[in-house]
Amino acid sequence: METERLIVLPGETIDPSLIPSHQKLPLRLGPGLRHIPPSDIVPTVAGQLITNPARNSMWIEYNSQRYIPSTSDLILATVTRATPDAYLCTLSPYTPPATLPTLSFEGATKKTRPILTPGALVYARVTLANRHMDPELECVSAATGKAEGLGPLAGPGCVFDVSLGFARRLLMARSREEGGVGVLEMLGGEEGAAGGGGLAFETAVGRNGRVWVGSESARTVVVVGRALQETDRAGLGIEGQRKLVKRLVREVR
Amino acid sequence: MPREAEPSLSERQFVLQALQENLRLDGRELDQYRPLELSFGDQYGVADVTFGRTRVLAKASAEVTVPYADRPLDGIFNIATELSPMASPAFEVNRPTETEILLSRLLEKTVRRSGALDTESLCLVAGQKCWSVRVDVHVLSHDGNLIDAACLAVVAALRHFRKPDTSIEGGVLTVYTAAEREAVPLSWLHSPFCVTWSFFGDEGETAVLDATRLEEQVRVASCTVSLNKHGEICQIAKLGGVPVDAVALLQCTAVALTKVKEFSELVDKKLAEDVKKRDKGGFMAELSAENER
Repeated sequence: METERLIVLPGETIDPSLIPSHQKLPLRLGPGLRHIPPSDIVPTVAGQLITNPARNSMWIEYNSQRYIPSTSDLILATVTRATPDAYLCTLSPYTPPATLPTLSFEGATKKTRPILTPGALVYARVTLANRHMDPELECVSAATGKAEGLGPLAGPGCVFDVSLGFARRLLMARSREEGGVGVLEMLGGEEGAAGGGGLAFETAVGRNGRVWVGSESARTVVVVGRALQETDRAGLGIEGQRKLVKRLVREVR
Repeated sequence: MPREAEPSLSERQFVLQALQENLRLDGRELDQYRPLELSFGDQYGVADVTFGRTRVLAKASAEVTVPYADRPLDGIFNIATELSPMASPAFEVNRPTETEILLSRLLEKTVRRSGALDTESLCLVAGQKCWSVRVDVHVLSHDGNLIDAACLAVVAALRHFRKPDTSIEGGVLTVYTAAEREAVPLSWLHSPFCVTWSFFGDEGETAVLDATRLEEQVRVASCTVSLNKHGEICQIAKLGGVPVDAVALLQCTAVALTKVKEFSELVDKKLAEDVKKRDKGGFMAELSAENER
């Protein structure tokens, strides 16, 4: 996959040579771009223009304040209320609730379904996100019937709020090369030459700007959470992240 | 009005568990404040206080009015607090929440009732004319510990504030502009500061300073001590919550005194810096049209 990196401003004209052209696939516009017929493509936000010629798609990577659900996003939701056939969850504070049907868990039937108390955390996927409807979530893959890592997050751990852009960068398949985020690798990496922290923890990153960090040791959770938040707020690069990790790991010992 | 967003169960449990191990989510000590910043505006009487992600702006202003009939020799001094939806969607304009009422009551008790500002000096003509000093407190960002931040902002704003100079000749009151006569500072008697302790655990055994919003949501009790740098206590407010051991409270007050001394040093230092910044080297230097070009 080849990507171009270019900063665009709202209303700017996009150079036609940047628009991917594919033999068979139709052009797909992602967030931040608007098609004005007949043939103009105009950015509506300021950000980084990313094009993917293989999938014939283009979108703008930007950091927004409010999470707007879209289908197949992985998110970290908090259960607020239970109804007979669904749990009502919040994705971000002060927004309408999302519904999580009680049957959309792995192996759930009408008789055996997970019992979640208000305040419980679930890692889920958005299945329905229409503009004027409450979003719907699931904790099971519809194709395989397996949880595939989704479900209630029960173990000891804590949630940390990060910006939406940072959460997306963390979720990138190659977050270190493309997103420029390597804190988690560094913290979890082997101690010694590579400057790793050697900490044992697990994470669940939600596109709604929330990261769950779980570990048996509370100190580890605090260090990982601080590393994530400081990287996000200070906009650290890889080198800055390495220094931060070194400093935090030294504090732990 | 939307209800305040509640933290999830795992956040609650984790904060409490970590505090038992003397750990805080942002890596601070239990009795450590977040990085504290204080800056003054271009105008006199504007102070901007930042405690980590909490930000409060206070603006002092004065106008000439008629004094209250029952207090002909006193000026008027008011503190107006408003929590706008900018700080949190749970706040609504013209519908004060409990937080807002408590905040304004505590500021009132700390600054106004402790006699920090000499209101008699605001009187111009007995029973007819006096200064009315008003401080508006705006919460720009709410991440816990509003009381301490707001109190520091109010005190800093009032100490930075200058009211126009006046004179009375033959019963005629003249208010001078800043160009005619230099504005004069308020007659300030002492600087009280608030220090808020939050208590955690079943019996409130863990005491924590400068709680963030998440910590405020899971605490079992809180206690606000207001005192000045000489250790004179203006008020102690412990409104409900779990009872706290008296000896622990005494220790808290002792620590609060050291924090208040730090606050007053900070305000003194920043005020001195501001004076230095404004001093252009006398009247002639100010009049000169010369510039860096």
